[in-house]
Amino acid sequence: FGLSSGLTGIHVQYTLVLILSTKPCEFGDLVQIKKQLISVISLCKERGLVHSVKWASELAFALDPLPKNELPPPAIFTEEDCQDLDAFGLAKSYFDLKEYDRAAYFLRGCRSQKAYFLYMYSRYLSGEKKKDDETVDSLGPLEKGQVRNEALRELRVELSKKHSAGELDGFALYLYGVVLRKLDLLKEAVDVFVEATHALPLHWGAWLELCNLITNIEMLKALSLPDCWIKDFFMAHMYTELQMIKEALQKYQSLIEAGFSKSTYIISQIAVAYHNIRDIDQALALFNELREQDPFRIENMDTFSNLLYVRSMKPELSYLAHNLVEIDKYRVETCCVIGNYYSLRSQHEKAALYFQRALKLNPRCLGAWTLMGHEYMEMKNTSAAIQAYRHAIEVNKRDYRAWYGLGQTYEILKMPFYCLYYYRKAHQLRPNDSRMLVALGESYEKLSQQVEAKKCYWRAYSVGDVERMALLKLAKLHEQLNESDDAAQCYIIYIQDIFSCGEQLEHAEVSTALRYLGQYYFKNKHYDEASLCAQRCCDYNDAREEGKALLRQISQVRDQTETSSTDLFGPLSSNNTPVRRVSPLDLSSFTP
Amino acid sequence: MIVISTSSERRRLNKLILPLQQGPDLTLGQFLKTVGECCPQTAYAVKLRLHEMADGELKDMEYFFATLPTPFRAIDSEAYKTSVVGLFMRHMLLAYNKLSFSQVYKLYKALQQYYHSQFAQPGVSPVGIPGLAADNTDMDLTSTEDTMGERMEKDELDTTPLHESDLRNEDAPSRGPLSQKQAEYFLARQAYLLKNDENKALKPAALQDELNNMLKFNPDFAEAHYLSYLNSMRVQDIFISTHSLLHYFDRLILSGSEGKSNGDEGYGRSLRYAALNLAALHCRFGHYQQADLALQEAIRIAQESNDHVCLQHCLSWLYTLEQMKGSDSSVLTEDSVKMAAHFCLPYLASLGIQSLVQQGAVQGKTAHELMDAMKETDILHWKHSLSELIDISLAQTTSIWRMYGKSTMAQQQAQLLLNMSSLEQVNFGVHQNNTEAFAVILCHLAELHAEQGLYGAVSEILKHLKDQFPPHTQHAKLWMLCDLKIQFDRAMNDGKYHLAEPHVTAIAALNKTEGLYRKALVLKALNRTTEAYSILQRLQLYCEKTKYTEMIIRVMLATAELHWESSGFATALPLLLQALSLARQHHLQALASETILHLAFTQLMLGVPDQALGVLHEAMEPVLAHGAVMDKGRALLLAARCQVTIAGAQPDCQRHAALSLAAQTLGEAAAYFSMLDCKERLRDVHYLQARLHHTLGQTAERNKCAMLFRLLDQELPAPGAAVAMRL
Repeated sequence: FGLSSGLTGIHVQYTLVLILSTKPCEFGDLVQIKKQLISVISLCKERGLVHSVKWASELAFALDPLPKNELPPPAIFTEEDCQDLDAFGLAKSYFDLKEYDRAAYFLRGCRSQKAYFLYMYSRYLSGEKKKDDETVDSLGPLEKGQVRNEALRELRVELSKKHSAGELDGFALYLYGVVLRKLDLLKEAVDVFVEATHALPLHWGAWLELCNLITNIEMLKALSLPDCWIKDFFMAHMYTELQMIKEALQKYQSLIEAGFSKSTYIISQIAVAYHNIRDIDQALALFNELREQDPFRIENMDTFSNLLYVRSMKPELSYLAHNLVEIDKYRVETCCVIGNYYSLRSQHEKAALYFQRALKLNPRCLGAWTLMGHEYMEMKNTSAAIQAYRHAIEVNKRDYRAWYGLGQTYEILKMPFYCLYYYRKAHQLRPNDSRMLVALGESYEKLSQQVEAKKCYWRAYSVGDVERMALLKLAKLHEQLNESDDAAQCYIIYIQDIFSCGEQLEHAEVSTALRYLGQYYFKNKHYDEASLCAQRCCDYNDAREEGKALLRQISQVRDQTETSSTDLFGPLSSNNTPVRRVSPLDLSSFTP
Repeated sequence: MIVISTSSERRRLNKLILPLQQGPDLTLGQFLKTVGECCPQTAYAVKLRLHEMADGELKDMEYFFATLPTPFRAIDSEAYKTSVVGLFMRHMLLAYNKLSFSQVYKLYKALQQYYHSQFAQPGVSPVGIPGLAADNTDMDLTSTEDTMGERMEKDELDTTPLHESDLRNEDAPSRGPLSQKQAEYFLARQAYLLKNDENKALKPAALQDELNNMLKFNPDFAEAHYLSYLNSMRVQDIFISTHSLLHYFDRLILSGSEGKSNGDEGYGRSLRYAALNLAALHCRFGHYQQADLALQEAIRIAQESNDHVCLQHCLSWLYTLEQMKGSDSSVLTEDSVKMAAHFCLPYLASLGIQSLVQQGAVQGKTAHELMDAMKETDILHWKHSLSELIDISLAQTTSIWRMYGKSTMAQQQAQLLLNMSSLEQVNFGVHQNNTEAFAVILCHLAELHAEQGLYGAVSEILKHLKDQFPPHTQHAKLWMLCDLKIQFDRAMNDGKYHLAEPHVTAIAALNKTEGLYRKALVLKALNRTTEAYSILQRLQLYCEKTKYTEMIIRVMLATAELHWESSGFATALPLLLQALSLARQHHLQALASETILHLAFTQLMLGVPDQALGVLHEAMEPVLAHGAVMDKGRALLLAARCQVTIAGAQPDCQRHAALSLAAQTLGEAAAYFSMLDCKERLRDVHYLQARLHHTLGQTAERNKCAMLFRLLDQELPAPGAAVAMRL
């Protein structure tokens, strides 16, 4: 356990060292984990790291309560702590009241690690608060993006001095990392955060910061991270971020099996993961469970509302919106939920208004920008939509929905060549998403680039077509190009696909497919198959007449051939078949 | 407030008001320097005043603003309320009065920083760590648009000239965020330089850094994206250039959205131009299919919204694209010109005409038609001051003259362009632009000099070209090809075929047809006749398809030379006659003369020297007037040989005179060949001379020539081709 430099003489850490030295890497010893959590909660609480406290507490709550004698002892006081006790108490109370400068002032002479952290942390927060205030009354529009936290540079200098002297404990390292990240010194920040996780593995904040800085799997693999149970949580979170959903779900499953089954955190993470792979049913079930367990939760509810929106579950969405407004109406998530709610009710102006509000609350809220773009699209305000999507891309270049949205916007503006670029971008980010491929194919089709279009449609089908449109489009394209064999093949697969998935889709064009197939078989003189198709056609209103007509034709032709020469019929049906003859069995299994 | 002592100082200061008010922001040091140059007293007063405020307290600045309105009422004041300065001051005062307390304090802080960044005073620096704090003090304050505080002070105290040197300093990369004006100025200047004189612009990497920095601080600054597009085009980076271009137009659509939704000014317009620009981009990268699709899209949208101007631009791109693809687009071009004239778009109209002239020249339109068209467009250019097109027009005239084989005229036109001072209004001291026109002209000049054997001048011109158009730039291929051609010709003339061979590959990389032709020449020289013949046949077919007349004629001549080598003089004759008629039809005088030389030689070999000499006389004049030194020598040598042959059939008395005439002609030829230092041919000449003098009984001359021949013969390897069998 590599704490040789950071912990010499630091007695505050003593308890932690005790806990961690007996650290079980297996999840078997949940009691130990619970103990560790409890002590880290008190440590974070003393330092005002509220989010880490929340996370750890949620996890601790999911575990069984400890008996009285098992409770970890309170942190040991050192001489320095005693000296700083009063100043620290005073400063902490100011800190809690958000009087950061005041807190820092009273902490400036303190020598204990705890006080030092709070001292630096207050200065950092004071800078951040001033920055936010500054943004409100800046001198002009050009200062946008130029307002910065003036304290950062000083903090960095002081912290780097202490860092090179090896005098920073886990919390201070975390703060140092945050300062570096805010100064855009990302590489250094990663190193410092890794160091922080080694020094104090139980501090979730450091892990979370690290998570934001890792952009690809190679980078993740290259890091040397402490071997602790919390690493599994980190890895699972990381996999979700990197869109490696299968791995993430596996990790979370193993965590649940290890005894964290009651944790709302894990449930919400799994639900988000399912949302990302568009497994809507699973995700909805999990979110419902989450709301039962934690009815006043606001986090992740925007994701939940997205799912409800996709499924058009109006009453549920409305209930959720009302509920969240009652809890807290000035939260980004609440605004997004309400936006979705209005959007579902086709009140797009109001929806856009709520997304705007969400953005006012947090300008870096990615989802809201994209959703607002969608709303503007609905309102046919293309220029505003483009603006919104561009903002979304600015916040996160890897937001495929924004790229896709831009593509759609230009498609609406009837610029199929122009939108190719955007669809291609979206496709790059989600290579296995059929929607982008279908969109690409459609654009190519509009540009009369049939070869490319065919490739796109086929690929869309191969990666698992969500909307089940690719094959139909491919078949129609083949039809246009007079490639009747290929077209028939596609229609057959299409029909199989539609019926195998069970549910009835609104836009399904089975009748078109059947009609074409009937004619196709008829032309190739497969009268049995043709009549089967024609009969099926009669099940659909729009194709009934044609089906009947085809049936009549077939019977006519059959009469003729039988009367004229029965000898000819044999070789005709067996030998003159087209190369790619389709087995009639395929059709017999259809049960609409 | 400040008494300006002399009227000359006052005038100089007055002249500064506008540049300062409209120019980019300056640092205090630059500002004081410029004011100081006009009026040291004022500069000192400004400094004092600033010092008072910056080293004092907030109330000092407030006092300054409080006293600001006083001169408004005095009618004779410099800052009377309706004067330029007065107006500006009132503007500033209004902005100041609107500020909240915290903003006023911020302004004061910024002023302090502005002051101290110049006169750094330890201890006053607001931040404790000078090393880190120094980074961002430069321009902080200047960045605010609506408070203009410090700029005001400059103006109010009357101000200074914007020397070019000061502006130059400005575009040195600065680390802090730029103010709106600084950024705009920076972008405009860099874009101008990219267009006209790329070498003076920042290096691509540095410029990109600067742009990224600018965009980081102000992501809404769309023009920076456009410059980034231009910049990445320089380094042939299709990825970033597409990205930037689309980003720019996405942004532009936003800014234009207040206008009518689909009208002339609305965002519909930028959509059309977005598609058009995308087409241009693909065109530039040689993706013709993509460009075609984008162009069709632009045309469709433009048609839907009845935007004729945009359609016109599309049309001119369309014919350019067709031309680049190698198909005939003269009908399209003509249409384009007509429409452009109809919609009063002089630029597009004359661009179209220039393109038509180019096509016409290649297709053999008569010279006077072409020159008339050029003249008409020139009038148009001068009327509308289209300096870019004037350059192109001159370059084109040069090329046409050169094609017709009038080297003097070509040279004259080239010099005209080079000596003409640029018409650009905002010319930042750029004497010569590095546009395509200049590259073309300089290449022509280099080739013309090479023809005259002035290789020293050639290498100087090429060096200049290399400096002006570094190898990575767009027009560098022009001089590369020109350089290679000259080197190749030199090697061939010197008979160093092994040196010529590597050039062929390089030429082929730049221009396939030219490369193939040169390959055939080398093969022919190396006596690999069969290969050379097959190449020439292929080339002729190809050129006939693409209507590349000059090359067809040259290929025919080369083929005729091949026939000579197999003594097929009779077979060469029809070929040469065909070449001659082609050359005459297209007014290609240089090639026609060359063909006549070939013809005369063939006739000589067929044993009709009288005829040959007659034909030769026809070509002699243009060759001596416009031809290359090599051609002059060859023509004279040929003439001498004809004369000798004729003399052989004459009675003795006349023969002597005829022979001495031939000897004289040979002497002239020898002079031309020695200019080029073409030893092989000199050897032939000296041999003939020696024989002639021998026949004439002039022993001294004979011995001299014989010695010269002997010297050269020792130096050179045994002759490759029989002396008599070559032109």
